[in-house]
Amino acid sequence: MFYFNKVAELAASAMQSGLSLSSSSLRGLPFADLSRELSDKIDQLPIELNEYGYDPWGFDPNVLKTSMMTAAILYRHYFRAVSVGMNKLPPGRMLLVGNHAGQVAFDGMMVATAMLLETSPPRLARGMGEYWLATLPWLNVLMDRMGHSIGTPSTCAEMLNRDECVLVFPEGVRGMNKVYADAYQLQDFGLGFMRLALETNTPIVPFAVVGSEEQAPGIANLESVAAMLNMPAFPITLTWPLLGPLGMLPLPVRYHIEFGQAMHFEGDHNDEDDAISHKVDEVKDSIQSMLRRGLAERTSIFL
Amino acid sequence: MKRLLITGISGGQGRLLAKRLSEGWQITGVDRVPWEGAPEYVDVKTLDLRKKKFEDVLRKNRPDAVVHLAFVRHFRGSNELRHEVNVGGTRRLLNSCARYGVKQVVVLSSAYVYGALPENPMYMDEDGPLNVARNFPDIRDLAEVEGLVSSFLWKYPEISTSILRPVNTLGYYVHSAIGSYLGLDIVPTVTGFNPMLQFIHEEDVCEALALAIEKQLRGVFNVAGPGAVPLKTAIHEIGRRRLSVPEPLAHLIIRELFRFRVYDFPPAAMDFIKYPCTVDGSRFVEATGFKPLFSLRDVFASMA
Repeated sequence: MFYFNKVAELAASAMQSGLSLSSSSLRGLPFADLSRELSDKIDQLPIELNEYGYDPWGFDPNVLKTSMMTAAILYRHYFRAVSVGMNKLPPGRMLLVGNHAGQVAFDGMMVATAMLLETSPPRLARGMGEYWLATLPWLNVLMDRMGHSIGTPSTCAEMLNRDECVLVFPEGVRGMNKVYADAYQLQDFGLGFMRLALETNTPIVPFAVVGSEEQAPGIANLESVAAMLNMPAFPITLTWPLLGPLGMLPLPVRYHIEFGQAMHFEGDHNDEDDAISHKVDEVKDSIQSMLRRGLAERTSIFL
Repeated sequence: MKRLLITGISGGQGRLLAKRLSEGWQITGVDRVPWEGAPEYVDVKTLDLRKKKFEDVLRKNRPDAVVHLAFVRHFRGSNELRHEVNVGGTRRLLNSCARYGVKQVVVLSSAYVYGALPENPMYMDEDGPLNVARNFPDIRDLAEVEGLVSSFLWKYPEISTSILRPVNTLGYYVHSAIGSYLGLDIVPTVTGFNPMLQFIHEEDVCEALALAIEKQLRGVFNVAGPGAVPLKTAIHEIGRRRLSVPEPLAHLIIRELFRFRVYDFPPAAMDFIKYPCTVDGSRFVEATGFKPLFSLRDVFASMA
């Protein structure tokens, strides 16, 4: 579920507010170079802004520069992410589709950071948020300014039609809040992303994240508690809720992100579910095989 | 020369449109309020759409085209009056149009009919549901008017009927709810909300109406302006001071101020400064080649 990503990003931006100085005043401070690098990359984003500095959906690069800083620090120094396959990214519109894990959506954050820092030209990976996010004060604004949007199919289609890059996790909470026994086994994929790709003639870029499962291994998911609290999931991990809010911090695992070959699909986007799910399985297989390879090549969870 | 009837001609939009179409058309206008110093090229009749005499105008005049602008868009009067003028007036007008051989009808609705909801997609097209009545009963008459006009559109295929739904309209002549909101000395906003708002200049709306007439448009069309900015940017550009009010408090204050008619906006209008209500105007552009002349800066400058 993407909103965990949002909560993480909100926390990130709150943490960042102390650091949200211009890059010049950061000179000499730790992360000054990273801040400058991020800022340069954001300036290079191929996004057209209006005379007031916003894109049509409310994206504001200046907000992204400060709010992505914590993500960038996590990416480089905490998760020490290694990303490969960026040279295979197609130009123009694309739908990034990958595995979801780790209780809190740091995976979304890290993939978005990789798309900014590791690609040339940099791309803004736009997330599709839950409807109720729009009702939360500040968060709804932050989300828009960072380039994300409420996840309605028509907004997503419109973004793709305008050659944007949209990030989705078709497993949703089923993937993110699964228990560790199911680690790296892809859960059921929703079909919506494939219909949108067909409708807008968008290549799908599968990606695999290795590391996210170990950042917060799930012991159980108390669905009844979740229902009571009106939350989509209530995970139990080694540290949460045992250590309180501190227990939500991920373990310092190393992230490995692999972007696969872009996949082009053709067909009627209003086709029967059977026909669509056949195509979805191709994407799923591609992600699963990248995961298998990534796990086989990994020598250490933390190093 | 072909004959054109404009209802609500004494309003800002009516005056602009009369001027815009004065060369190719012989214009008659009706309004409840007189147009002092109306130019010679318009024949203004001061009468109420809801009265029998209005039908006489159509019978005698036999207009080729009708532009319907006579709507109560503010909340200063009672809901009953609003409903009677907007819905009752439209019904009467449409009946008369069918009876007296009008060939073309253009109705000025607004993008507000989609409603401002948290789950709204950005840039909604004309096929989207008209949700305004869901949370904003005070303006459900807008949706009812649209319902009347759409069924008229299907019932009389020989009459070119079109509905235009422009976004937030600002300018010197037109009095709009958004205009009076942004014209307040201190503009209240809801803490933690800052939705994207689309704006259009009144002259561009006038141009859109004229194009709908000239191109004999048929169907429902959003009319989008030069673009969208966050609400707070608009307030800043217009040069107003802003007051951020936490939501529960804002609701209470607005309700009380509205109750005592200090403030012209019902509490439900608050959704429009919290959630997006943006529309895709490409269908109208494709049908008419419409291009707004006024940029966002021009639109805001017209309010400063």
